[in-house]
Amino acid sequence: MKHNLSYYFIPQEKNNYRAEILKNGFLMMLVGFYLINQSVIKLIGTIKPGVLGYSSEITAQKVLDQTNLQRLNNGLPPLKLNSLLSESATKKAKDMFSHNYWAHTSPSGTTPWDFFKAVDYRYSVAGENLARDFYDTESLMNGWMNSPTHKANIINSKYQEIGIGVVNGTLGGIKTTLVVQHFGTPLVAIANIQPKPKTPPIEAPAEIKTEIDKTLTPNNQVTTPVNSKILSEQKSDYISPLTINKTVGIIIFSLIIIVLFIDGYFTLKNGVNRLTGSNISHIGFLLIILLFMLYQRQGAIF
Amino acid sequence: MKIIPKEIKQKPIEYMVLASIFLLGFLIYFFADVNSHEKRLVVYFMAASYFFWSIYHHYKRGDLSISIVVEYLIMALMGIVLLTVSFF
Repeated sequence: MKHNLSYYFIPQEKNNYRAEILKNGFLMMLVGFYLINQSVIKLIGTIKPGVLGYSSEITAQKVLDQTNLQRLNNGLPPLKLNSLLSESATKKAKDMFSHNYWAHTSPSGTTPWDFFKAVDYRYSVAGENLARDFYDTESLMNGWMNSPTHKANIINSKYQEIGIGVVNGTLGGIKTTLVVQHFGTPLVAIANIQPKPKTPPIEAPAEIKTEIDKTLTPNNQVTTPVNSKILSEQKSDYISPLTINKTVGIIIFSLIIIVLFIDGYFTLKNGVNRLTGSNISHIGFLLIILLFMLYQRQGAIF
Repeated sequence: MKIIPKEIKQKPIEYMVLASIFLLGFLIYFFADVNSHEKRLVVYFMAASYFFWSIYHHYKRGDLSISIVVEYLIMALMGIVLLTVSFF
């Protein structure tokens, strides 16, 4: 056993003075193993939708509190929760689940503004922020605040009201939580601050929307009915695909880095000359990638 | 200075260039205002730079061979695959 392990970890005559794990064939095998792991995860998501998922403890109230905290920090008044906007945000989240998409505009062309109209919310300005796969509200808010377009919605002085939809469902075979923020200022509010009573009503509302940026666009394939409840969340214990991938990735990278150190140490100690790549550059590159992986943020915004 | 391996002492400029590439990637990834798509590009850039650096480095050292090129290619590929397939 000990002998076998040393063959994989320590450079010696039997492995041609290169730890077996660092040989090209073994490295390719590790990449293949990771890809197979990926395929199995996707397969489980397709065959048994809902087994894998992102359990979330996000609630609409927490999103509202965090949003208003950000506004207060920027010297802006808090947004009032509007039930019509919450309804439109929930409808939008449900629509994404039922029509299996992740975008501001649905594949059939339904825009965010159609949801505002569906609940009869007449606005002068309006906007939408989307997020999915986040576990906690703080990370979700950080994700939005780190994106200039989403941040612009959250700290927009033109908005007075907000509606939040937090909906559980299955998207692409994976259980997840979609969070939708609908921002708006009602036409009435504008009319109230107009000094001249004869001013004609604004007929063509100005729409402030988040720019559709280049964030994640997952491939969604399977749709199942939504189990949704706005303003309330059910805590579930799903196996997160992200956690599985992260764990496997960290194990693989750590293993290679450790073996590179061992291999480098024994090579220096024994003064062996061999035709291989530089362990130092490998370690540097893999450490950076490992760091990226460790600090990879959860969730996606749109 | 014994802690610095011999190969770095022999080619300090080359290793400084590589360290600068890594540092630049690190700073952009963590501190620049970039979205997921741009982060993916940072990983591609780093992997490609690391690969081309290795070719130059081993060419100058006089030990460039197919097996070394393949070794670096696999390492770069591994970084890209493990990070971008599931996280972006």
